[in-house]
Amino acid sequence: MSFSTIGAPSPSRVGSALPPRPIRIIIGTALALAIAGLIAAVLLAILSAASNEADSGFSRIDIPHLLRMTAIQAGLTTGLSLAVGMALAWCLNRLRFPGRDLVVGLFASAIVTPGMVVAFGLLSIWGRNGWINQVSEALFGTSIGNPAFGLSGILFAHVILDGAFAARILLARLDAIPANRLKIGQSLALAAWQRFSVIDWPAMRGTLPGLGAIIFLLAFTSFPIVLMLGGGPANQTLEVAIYAAVRQDFDLRGAVLLALTQIGVCSVVIFAASAFAPVPTALGHSSAPQWRDGAGARALQYAVLAVSTLGFVLPLLSVLLDGLSAGMAELLSRPAFWRAAATSLVIGGVSAVSAVTLALLLCLARAASANSAMRTLLGVPAFAYLAVPAVVLSLGFFLLVRSLGVNPGVAARYVVILGNTLLSLPFAVATLGPPLDAIMRTRGKLVRALGLSGWRQFRLVEYPLLGRDLGVALALAFCFSLGDLGVIALFGTQDFETLPLMMFRALGAYRSNDAAAIAALLLIGTIIAFTALPRLFERLAHVAR
Amino acid sequence: MLRAEDLTFAHPRQVAPYVFSMEAAPGIVTAVSGASGAGKSTFLDLLAGFLTPSSGRLTLDGQDLLPLPPEERPISLLLQSESLFEHLSASRNIALGLPAGTPRHEAAERIARALTEVGLEDIGPQRAATLSGGQKQRVALARTLLRNRPVLLLDEPFSALDDETRQSTRLLVRNLTERHGWHTILVSHHQDDINALASRHYRIVDNRFVLA
Repeated sequence: MSFSTIGAPSPSRVGSALPPRPIRIIIGTALALAIAGLIAAVLLAILSAASNEADSGFSRIDIPHLLRMTAIQAGLTTGLSLAVGMALAWCLNRLRFPGRDLVVGLFASAIVTPGMVVAFGLLSIWGRNGWINQVSEALFGTSIGNPAFGLSGILFAHVILDGAFAARILLARLDAIPANRLKIGQSLALAAWQRFSVIDWPAMRGTLPGLGAIIFLLAFTSFPIVLMLGGGPANQTLEVAIYAAVRQDFDLRGAVLLALTQIGVCSVVIFAASAFAPVPTALGHSSAPQWRDGAGARALQYAVLAVSTLGFVLPLLSVLLDGLSAGMAELLSRPAFWRAAATSLVIGGVSAVSAVTLALLLCLARAASANSAMRTLLGVPAFAYLAVPAVVLSLGFFLLVRSLGVNPGVAARYVVILGNTLLSLPFAVATLGPPLDAIMRTRGKLVRALGLSGWRQFRLVEYPLLGRDLGVALALAFCFSLGDLGVIALFGTQDFETLPLMMFRALGAYRSNDAAAIAALLLIGTIIAFTALPRLFERLAHVAR
Repeated sequence: MLRAEDLTFAHPRQVAPYVFSMEAAPGIVTAVSGASGAGKSTFLDLLAGFLTPSSGRLTLDGQDLLPLPPEERPISLLLQSESLFEHLSASRNIALGLPAGTPRHEAAERIARALTEVGLEDIGPQRAATLSGGQKQRVALARTLLRNRPVLLLDEPFSALDDETRQSTRLLVRNLTERHGWHTILVSHHQDDINALASRHYRIVDNRFVLA
């Protein structure tokens, strides 16, 4: 995903080749304006609360400290994740081994793996009673301490998720290098370092600013990982401080000031990132020749791949082992669990369908428009939700609902669905937008020459070609909602809780068996959704061809 | 003499395999033509080592080339596109044809000489992306000069050029081939390119070469 897709080149270069689709553009514009209006309402609710809440003078919130801590951990996460991602993409691009597709798929799933599941897995491996300490004590009679807590733990968890995410994006860039370029390089007998500097680096570097900005934002607004691994106020970030101000200290004014700070920083990052040149979207793989690096480089590649795969897989494996062997049976016997599971599935399902429907309507309108200002109008509101993190969005809705005189408890279900829909929207738009643009660019003339109606265009051309991307967008949105803790955290009650909230409460009450079992189920649900939905839609689309 | 003898290859699910036999002499251009999908690019990939034949022989002056990986074959490539790395300057692109560790002053001198030979004295510092199609092909030829490999494979190298540039680039290829004694193999479906350059012409008919 890249912010620069907002201003990606329009199919206007083919000019009149675009079939006129006024209804699509009207619907898309209305939705974009409605989304922008909702953002404005949320911001207004936050601003008006800031001016209305009396300054008690007792706020303990230290914004400069929080800002510094958040920026440090997000900056370090970004640098480390990009470095790990580049190294990993380099290895995966070069090496061919049995199970490679599985490893690539594992790293691709990093973006949807719930942060709290990874945090829990890290504690199982690196925590005080984790696997590493048990082995260390058995072998050397000494413990390595508790590196899973504090800044090191936060960075570790973020790099596991974001480094794998970066690797998958950068691998797509490397896999899309034109075969002719590789043939020339190979016939020139370029050494491994020459190949990296002359062929790989130019293919990756254009993606780095946008990718870095996304990782920075993900880390800057990270909630469950910092909440679980932060280990106290020293490592608290803005997002967690907002939650603490509302739920623990009842300091609404402080929370609003923090939210405004957070929105300000995120907006600056988004605008800075969108100034970079558009990143070309790689569609498909080049039929590259097999070109192996020398023995030394290959040994290094296998070593990097082994360490990275272990770093990513071990925490998830421990979640599955701990969860499936501990309190699973007891958890499954509890009615509260089934209520939470049903709530999670309904919220995840409705949010995902809503997000994909919205994204599809926005992207269809954008692909049909030749006007670059119109395309920006249709893209910006969806991406603006990257600047409004989950807890801030939740706080804004909380204030909005309260100002309308509605009991937040009554509105909770709808607000959580709406919140999750909007937070998934940028990812759904980034998934569906580029292929829809490409379809119009390559087949617009034919669609127009054949005089297809808008509906037939969608049914016969766009839907069959989009199939897998629709499934990917749906899976992304579903998994985000399934693992969300940020939106539900402010609206959850004893009667209205999702699995992530139930897991968080179980951890707080030291019911670690329950937490482990829920973490395992969340992970299994995520894996099933992320692997099954794209395949299902690919098959459905194939039938439609 | 570059000689392919019953070089056999089939893509997955291809019913009848290609069986290529041909000879290319030094100092002349040998052309290969055929309809789209006839196997022209497959033949070049077999010569360059990007594909491995299931049987047959490929020799240059008696030396077996088949065991050699692409980077060790005595072959230079000139393609229709992507012959240059667009983000590098013309000089750096050409320098890739020199052995690693060539002293800087020697490299600069040889690059300048190669650029002069292809008629582009002043464009060394220019980025490849800013060059015209004809200039790009000439820069790629300059790199070929430095690599000094006896076989030059040309895959539709003139297709993207205008008529005037096409003629001058063709002339350059022929002159360089004669001067350096290259075994130049031109794959093209443009009859005028073949007429202008080739001393010998093979057509691919039913997956085999036929002398035209």
